[in-house]
Amino acid sequence: MTDTIELLEAIGSDASLRYAPADELKGVLEQAKASVGLSMAAESGDGAPLRYELGLQRISETPQMNAPGHGDEEEEEADVPLPEPFKPDRSPTLPAKQALSS
Amino acid sequence: MHRAIGGAAGVWFIERWCRPDLPYHRAMPSANLPSLHDTRRGSLSCVGLGMTLGSHLTPLARSHIEQADVVFAALSDPIAEEWLKRMHPDVRSLQPHYAEGKPRMKTYREWVARMMADLRAGKRVCGVFYGHPGIFAWSPHKVIEQARAEGYEAHMEPGISAEDCLYADLGFDPGRYGCQHFEASQLLYCERRIDTAGYLVLWQVGVVGNRSVGRFETGPAYRALLVERLEQDYPPGHEVIVYRGATLPIERARIQRITLRELAGAPLTAEETVVLPPAVTLQPNRAMLDRLQALDLRGQEATAA
Repeated sequence: MTDTIELLEAIGSDASLRYAPADELKGVLEQAKASVGLSMAAESGDGAPLRYELGLQRISETPQMNAPGHGDEEEEEADVPLPEPFKPDRSPTLPAKQALSS
Repeated sequence: MHRAIGGAAGVWFIERWCRPDLPYHRAMPSANLPSLHDTRRGSLSCVGLGMTLGSHLTPLARSHIEQADVVFAALSDPIAEEWLKRMHPDVRSLQPHYAEGKPRMKTYREWVARMMADLRAGKRVCGVFYGHPGIFAWSPHKVIEQARAEGYEAHMEPGISAEDCLYADLGFDPGRYGCQHFEASQLLYCERRIDTAGYLVLWQVGVVGNRSVGRFETGPAYRALLVERLEQDYPPGHEVIVYRGATLPIERARIQRITLRELAGAPLTAEETVVLPPAVTLQPNRAMLDRLQALDLRGQEATAA
């Protein structure tokens, strides 16, 4: 049986395989002596059988990003952003003033 | 279509796996040059693995991984972590620091502390993050800032992000109408102006309203508040695209089109991204257009004179 991770990398980096129809990819994997889990995953387009075969659970607790997302870097327990007083300066900048006065 | 796989590519694929001696990730010929490392003290790199296994890792990011003394991994898929382990013998997962009920900020500070500890010990440290290490990722920016403050060489290598995949899979160009991105909770916590003439991309809708204490999903009642906020700017029947990119190369992107009113009840995890297409047409800014025209005329007059 060919190494599953190496096969995945090969599929991911091959233009003819990455978007190949499931049945065609299945044929290629059979020739490559892929594992049952990888073949099933490729056929269904879902990695679940593969994770099961490899004994790996999807990291369900992982947020989509590694970010608190609420802006505050310093407040550890409450990461709601602090109010930042900001008043946009609507007056013309110096070059704009010069352009207007000319 | 079968020719593509049954033909040359298929033969190449089969032959390659009949030759385990062939380093598949080094198929491209390259000149051999000695690596230059300052061995006197540690250094830090934060790199992106991209979103899809095997498809997105850049040669430079791979080189950072392979040349590091120790690799820390914050990846969304354990299979991607297994792939990373093929590139380096000492890969340390940062995922166990997540825990239900634990503030995410606490987790991210622990990540920084772990990477800094090995850096201070004089090691070449590489932090590997899925997607792009600098987009919606607090720890890579923080650890680089801290490392530089302590005099260490530190930098970031970009990776292909979920946002990049989203444009390709959904087929829209953010430059055409403009595009706003928000972490979904920010729309509830803060007064923000949504420009409905452009695209709106909302991240982490599945955990919207999750205030600091780590929870991995929030329920429909939380999303109902988000829908209420969005209905201030969009009609309830406005199209909403629920998107999830592929992390494994045998997967396809998942794209579901629903209406805004259906968003609260839709099954969502933290991995889905929500996109709202434009709701109104772009309106010309007459005052600025007139001033631009005046400048053009002035330039033409100056050229003619």
